Formats: sequence, C-alpha cells, structure tokens
Amino acid sequence: MLTVITLTHFSKKRKETVVFREMSAKEVIDYVRNYDGYFLTNNERDVSQSDFKGRIMPWTTLRAAPTRDMVGYFAFEISGGASIHVDLMKKQINPFEKLRLVRKAMPNTLIQTGCRSHNLFGYRPYSEETIRATVRAFAKYVDVWRVYDFMNHIPNMKIVGEEVQKAGRILVPSLCFGTGPEHSNEFYLEKVQEIVDTFGPDIILGIKNHSALGSFERIANLVEAIKAEFPEIPIAYHGHNTDGNDLARMVAAIRAGAKIVEVCDHGFGAWYSQAPALSLIQVLEDHGYSPKNINIDAIIQSSEIIRYERRYYAAFESPFRGVDPLVRAHKLTGGAVSMAYEQAEQLGLLSRIQEVFEELSTVIKELGNIWPVTPGSQILWSTAVSNILYGRYEQPSDDLKRLLLGHYGPFPFYDPPDWIYKKVLEHKRTNGKRWYEILQSKDRAKPEDKEGIESCREQFREEMGRYPSEEEMVLYLIFPRDTVSYLKFEERYGRTWLLPPDIWFHTGGFPNGKRITFTDDSGKPHIIDIVSTQVLDNVVKTSCLVDYHFKTYSVPVDAKKRKAG
Amino acid sequence: MIEKLLVANRGEIAIRIMRSAQELGIKTVAVYEETDRFAMHITKADEAVCIGPGPRKDYLDIDRIIHAAKEVGADAIHPGYGFLSENPEFPLKCREAGLIFVGPPSDIILKMGSKVTARQIMESVGIPLIPGTKTLPPGNEGNEIALDFAERYGFPIMIKAVSGGGGRGIRVVHSKEQLIQGLKLARSEAKVAFGNEEIYLEKGISRPRHVEVQILADTHGNVVHLGTRNCSIQRRHQKLIEIAPSFLTPLVEERICESSVKAAKVAGYVNAGTIEFLVDEDDNFYFLEVNTRIQVEHTVTEMVTGIDIVREQLRIAAGEPLSIKQEDVSVRGCAIELRINAEDPKQSFIPCPGVIEVYQSPGGHGIRLDGAVYQGYEIPRFYDSLIVKLTVYGFSWNEAVDRLRRALDGFNIVGVKTTIPYYKAIVDDPDFRNRQFDTTYIDSHPELLDYREAEDEMDKLARLIAEINAYGYNPHAL
Repeated sequence: MLTVITLTHFSKKRKETVVFREMSAKEVIDYVRNYDGYFLTNNERDVSQSDFKGRIMPWTTLRAAPTRDMVGYFAFEISGGASIHVDLMKKQINPFEKLRLVRKAMPNTLIQTGCRSHNLFGYRPYSEETIRATVRAFAKYVDVWRVYDFMNHIPNMKIVGEEVQKAGRILVPSLCFGTGPEHSNEFYLEKVQEIVDTFGPDIILGIKNHSALGSFERIANLVEAIKAEFPEIPIAYHGHNTDGNDLARMVAAIRAGAKIVEVCDHGFGAWYSQAPALSLIQVLEDHGYSPKNINIDAIIQSSEIIRYERRYYAAFESPFRGVDPLVRAHKLTGGAVSMAYEQAEQLGLLSRIQEVFEELSTVIKELGNIWPVTPGSQILWSTAVSNILYGRYEQPSDDLKRLLLGHYGPFPFYDPPDWIYKKVLEHKRTNGKRWYEILQSKDRAKPEDKEGIESCREQFREEMGRYPSEEEMVLYLIFPRDTVSYLKFEERYGRTWLLPPDIWFHTGGFPNGKRITFTDDSGKPHIIDIVSTQVLDNVVKTSCLVDYHFKTYSVPVDAKKRKAG
Repeated sequence: MIEKLLVANRGEIAIRIMRSAQELGIKTVAVYEETDRFAMHITKADEAVCIGPGPRKDYLDIDRIIHAAKEVGADAIHPGYGFLSENPEFPLKCREAGLIFVGPPSDIILKMGSKVTARQIMESVGIPLIPGTKTLPPGNEGNEIALDFAERYGFPIMIKAVSGGGGRGIRVVHSKEQLIQGLKLARSEAKVAFGNEEIYLEKGISRPRHVEVQILADTHGNVVHLGTRNCSIQRRHQKLIEIAPSFLTPLVEERICESSVKAAKVAGYVNAGTIEFLVDEDDNFYFLEVNTRIQVEHTVTEMVTGIDIVREQLRIAAGEPLSIKQEDVSVRGCAIELRINAEDPKQSFIPCPGVIEVYQSPGGHGIRLDGAVYQGYEIPRFYDSLIVKLTVYGFSWNEAVDRLRRALDGFNIVGVKTTIPYYKAIVDDPDFRNRQFDTTYIDSHPELLDYREAEDEMDKLARLIAEINAYGYNPHAL
C-alpha cells in the first residue's frame, strides 16, 4: 500500500498574490518585465525525458500537483519535447487528457510546453496547415510556449509563434545556446533582433542551454549583452545540469538580469536535467536574492512525495549516473541522454560510449557546429553511432540527407565539407546524379505535404472506423501510426494511467489476494483483487474482483515466454 | 381458491407469475426442459418438474405439462405468454383433467384467435375496422379478390396470417406485383409458422401508432379496462418499447377504452386480455387484434394503475369477482418498459447466447426489474434471449424518460452483447424525448444503430492487469 503524505505542517497558501492564469499574455509579460526578483519554472517534462526515459507517469505528476501548485512557480512544463510521442507510445495516455488533468490539478500555475518550431513535437518539418492546427489545439491548455529551433533559423519559428500569439498565449522564442568560436554574442544578438522583428516586443526571450555548456561567466555575459541591447525584453534561462554547473549558471543568469530560470524538484535528484530549486534558492539567498513569493515548505513537500515515487522509475534511470563534465566536448543535449544510452545499450555500444561521444564531437564540428538538440541531436547522435558501426558516413540516415538538403534550414556558420555531401547525398542513388547537381536541382526542395487535413481525416476513418475528434486529428497529423495504435489500445484497455506505476511497470505474476487500489479522476476509489491465477498450456486465466464484481480473463500466452511470477 | 399453481412457462414471466401467486399463499411449481435446467425460474418456485429433454418441444407439450401438474398435485396452470398461452386446446385439456386454466376459456381463444371472427365482434360494437377482406380463398380466386381490394383501397396493403399474432405473419406490399407474389409467400410462411395457411388482407395505415387497451373480465360479468398502452416502437412488428398511458387525447382515450370493454362483454371475455388498435395521424382508431393472454408489457399498466394484473388473473380463475371496479382504476404518471435482450442490434438483432460474466442492475425509486438471469448464467441458444425487462415509472413523461436513462446507465452486463446501448441511443434521441414516434420510428431512425459500445472502464483496466499477470510484464510499457 502506498503511504499517503498528509500536508499538515506547511502553509497551503501560495505566497504569490498574482494569479497568472487570470491575466492576459501581455499582462503576464509586463509583470515579469517589471518584477524585481526571480521566478522559477519547474520542468518535470525535461526531468522525465532527460533522466527517466520520459517515463514519469501522470500518477506521480498528479500526486505532486497540489503541493507544486502551492510553490508559486511561474510555470510548470509538462508537455512538449518528446513527451507527446512518449505519452502515445510508452505511457498510453492521450497528451491532451494529460494536459487537462494537470491544468485541473494545478489551477494556480501556468502550464508550459517545449516546442521544436516547425518540427512541432516530432522530428521533421510539418506543413503549415498541420502546424497551425496543432498549435491551436494545444494552446487551449498550454499557457507558455517555449519555442526553439535547432538551427536557430528564426523563420522556422514563425508559424508556431503566430498561432501562439493569436491564441493569446505567452510566447518564449528561445535561442539554442552553444559554444565554439562562432557562438559569439554578435551572432546571438542578431538572432534576438530577428526574433523581435518577427514577434514584436511582447515576448519572453528564452536561452536554451540544452547541453549544459558554457561557464557561469559566459552565461552572465550573454544575458548582459542581451539586456544591454534589448532592455525591455524579459529573459528566461533554461539549462541542464549535465556537468553539475547549472546552479552557478542560473545564479549568474539571475544576477545578470534573467527573470526566469528552470529547475527540478530535489526529490528527483536529476543528473542530466535541471538543477534543484531549493539548492538554487539557498545559493541565491547568499547573493542577496530572497525567495519572495516562493513557498519553500511546498517545495520540500513536493520532493517528499516525489522521493517516494522515484523508486517506480529506477529501471529507467541512466546506466551511467552522476554528472558528466565531458559534456563540454561531446555536447549531447540533456534531453537526449537517456534515450541515447538506451539506443547504445541495444546496439551493444555501452562499453564503447566514450568512443561514440568522441565521434559525436567530431560529427558536430563537421556538420556546421549546429546545436545538438532535437531533432538535430537525433541526427547527430545516430550519425555518430552509425559512423562507429558502419564506417564514417557509410550508412547515412534519411534525416541526415534532409539536413544536408536544407530541409531544416540553412547551416548558420559554415557548410559541411564536400566529401560529406558526396557520401551522404550520393548514397544508394540510382540515377547517377552527383551531389552538387542534387543541391542545385529541384530534388533539393522540401517535398510539399501532398495530403491535407481532409484526406488525413478520411484515412483516419478508414483505420479507426470513425471520424476523429479535433484533438485526435492533430495527434494523427503529427504521429499517424502511433496515434492509431494508442487509440486502439485505449479502446481496449481504457485509461490505464489511472493504475499505480508499480502495477503499470510490474514484472512477474500477481499473487492471489493481491489488492490493487487507485482513485480515478472523479475522486472515486476502485479496487481490483486478484482472486486466482490458473496457468494452462497456452492460456493463463486470471480471476479477479473488479469493484466487487467477479471477472475471469483468459489470456493466450506462450508458456515458455511467460516470466516466472 | 387455488392452492398449487403450475406455471407452464419459463424465464421472467414464470417468475413474475410465481411472485403474485406466492403473495396469495399459493404454492408454485416450475416446469423445465433438461436443456433449460439452470434457468432462474426453477429456483424461484416451491417445486420443479423436468418435463423432458427439450429443447423447445416439451414446453409446447400439453400432455406432459398436464401430467406434471397432476403428478405434483397442482390444481391450476398459468400459461404465461408465448408457448401454449393462446392454444385453445390447452384450456380444454386442463378442464378435462380437472385443472383450472388461468386465462380465457378455449372458445374465447378460438374466437379471438381468428382474426375474422374477432373483426366481426368488434364491428358489432361499432369499433372501426381497417378495411380488409375475409379469409382469401386459395388460387386465382383469392388473387382476384386481392386485386379488387387493391383497386378499391390502394396501397400499402398488409397480408396477414389468420393465425398470426404478436407481429408475426404480416407482410406489407406496395404494388400489384408484390401483392400477387406476397400472397403466395405469405401462405407458405403461415403454414410453416402456424400450421394454417389461411390469410387475409388489410389496408395499410400510414405512420400509425400502435395503441392497446388492457382488459380484465371475471366470470361474474364484470369487465374493466386498465387504460391504454402505446407500443409503437417496433422492429419488424415486434414491440421494443411500451409506454403507459398512450397519450391519446382524453376523448379518444375514453372512446377506445369504453369500446374495448363493450367488445369484451359482447365476446363474453374472461380473464386478462388486450385489444390492439392502430391510430392514424388524425386520431382515428382501427381494431387490430385481440391477445388472449398476459402480455410482456403488462408491467407498464401495473405501474400506472397500481393493479397487480396476475393477482387478478388468479382471482378470476378461482371464480372470484374482480377486486376492483372501473371507478377504482385511475391512471397516474407514466411508465416505460423495454426488453433488455442478449442481442446485437448492429447485426440485425441476432441473439448472442453466452455466459453472463457480470450482472449488476439499477435500482431506486420508480424502477422495476423482471429478470430472468443471474451472474454466471449461460443464456441458452434454444430459447428467447431476454435478460431482463426494465420498467420505469415517472410522474410525467419527462421524468420517466430521465429515469429510464439513469436506469440504463445503472446496468453493468458483461459477457454478452445487449440491446442496452441501442436503447440509450433511443432515449437520447430528440424525437423519442418529444414523443414523436409511430410504428415507422425504428426504420426511419437508422442512425440510432451508430452507437458506440461502452465497456466498463474498470473491466478494461482489469483486462490489462490480467495480461500483465499472464505475460509476467506489461508489453505496453516497454
């Protein structure tokens, strides 16, 4: 049985008297702009993605929601990044339903998403029609949109940003931050100007330090430079703690004038995601920044809940735990670490991980010193892995071809060398065209999205036997196969996110008499009692009492494959 | 007074009859076929007799049933509905065996069972008849009469089996070609179904409502009506939803009920019976047929009048006078009854026999259940697929409809497909809620079949838990 932690010894009131949810986007931005302190944003989405393979279940999120809602966070990021895809594929929850649940459970806190510009929550650019429909659908539940592009190509953000502003939500166009001689203040200031020219001054500017790069001085220097040029634009800093230095960077960012920084709960004790809120608050206090409007007790209580929950996710934590100061060289983005390790493990490369990291570092330099963040991180990482396994650029992926063809935007600093173009673009090419001819020909152009929303709606009907709701349509447009598979799952198994994580991730059989209890989103408790298990040759019969009615399920199963209970 | 009653039926009606009998202190005897040995009605009786191996033939075997009654010392037999309930031989043989038959005597069943005779009786008391023919002679002569009839009254025309009833043995034709073809088919169908190939014609009424009057008549010459029922929602002439009262205008309601009492008196009717009518768009009513038995839908009348019809049947059969006079009968509120069957409406209502894994039913104010199943019961493929008859009462039509929706939501039946989701679609339909329906309702609302079947959410989750238990891991969480 789970322990229920009662909230008796801490203030149940938020200190912050302003409720951002009740304000317009402009009012919120103005408030942040004129605020003489700092705000914290809790990024559980990134913690889950960076350190737990995206598996933190809604169960845990909802358990911690009431206390987190009391903290006085500026926002809570629970959507976006890889989470939409993982929700559908691995957690079997409708991403919209998750947002509805979290919004309801955290009525005082803004809900945030991380959006990959025209790549939305996926890995390739989507059509304008799809981008607009998707942002409109998600903007019903998401207040703050942290939008970034891994090529820092601002036009890639334009349609998303337009729709966010049209929906009256808060736009946070973000610079992907990197290091190297090209990543100068001049370059980033030009990008900020482009952002302001595109979206106007009523934005919060994001700095996205996805790979935990740069010293605290470098971050302070960049924030100061932006503040000097654009004093009216509030700055939000999103960093990762991969190297263990993000506390210092966040302190530096705030001291230099950043208004919002992103943190995690110390209960997660994350490695590759954000640094803990409470540690930051303690350091900032030494620098004279008092945590006004932040309920410390609520931060502690949230982590007490999370610490207990964390054990459910032990199997998904990285095989290498602890900070990684070498990230300065290989630059692997925090959000890609857990999945990168998973892939390396599957390919038997875990023992050669340093070799992969070295290759990654080389690949990044060869491919224009771009920002290794999704979908760029996947392209660069799989290229590095492929180079190790099959020889350098011998087995290029389609996404790498798209990168070289410019489908994701132009290389910002320099183009990759010709020999890479040759190897990649001429790979398995049957028409004999040379790489430079391909670059000049119409083959280079990004293929138009031939199938509009209407034809996709018909396609959905063919697959599901009914027309989609507006939200289902959006999910189908971005992840057609996984959406159908999820919806079929949901039809058969219902809202499985209600189950406790120790049941969802359970291994082995259940003993007779096992009682599974949980409460649904209407507050109703439910009980499923395992009465008996009968193992026959090819069938396992499980009899249970489901809310006090008796049911027997026969599951065909290969006895040899069945794990011992 | 009857001391021991054998119920010559099965399922919900057998149980319903036993309940009234037991309330009167009468011992009850169930009969069953070997293929029906797990039926619930057996458990509700004081005694039970297996009348044969079955299926479906021993319940129709008068001699076996009378033998069973004699063997257990029963002094009366109630036939229920269906099976032998309208077989005129049954009361005759009961009488010969010294048993009381709880129903009309055989000559009444014979008279009313013959559509032609019944029409003559109705005509004699001034009840309008749908223009029709007498029994058609076979061959060309019959064809010519039919064509003349069509010439005179136009189409549609209904071809009816003389021995048909309960919606069976009816064909509707819309042209001369269909008429000639239909006569031939109707004769052969009637012969197979009823053992009597005689047929007759009736003019079809467009968008008619099916309204019926419940009658009770004792052996002392007292006849009362218990108001009307609207049974217009039918599928292929089989009633799906029945409502009391029928919501005719008060004047028409009064005329139709008084005419029915008059007809029953002229016919010398005894025991419970129903006179059925078609009512057209202008509230003109036409005699349809008489049912000489307790009907499935009698519960709605009981709900709005408070009168136990079976109890009265037993009193009448015992020679007692009716316990009520006409002025004691008042209709208050509204009742709706529907039959929850193990059927798949999406597959032309094909029966879905199988094991009822979960059976949970609604309750509370204004809800009556006449059930025939229990959790773990296997609905046999040999008999009808009725699971439970749901009757709800409301002080008004709207209240009754709201209660019906709530009651349908309160069912949790797992293991077999049921008609519940289809009924939910009907109850949610604005035409139904506004009482805009006639006998064409089901055919004119095909979209009602587009419902989504909802499985209990917790059962779905339990399925996943069973799979985790079977595989030893959750294949969907990898």
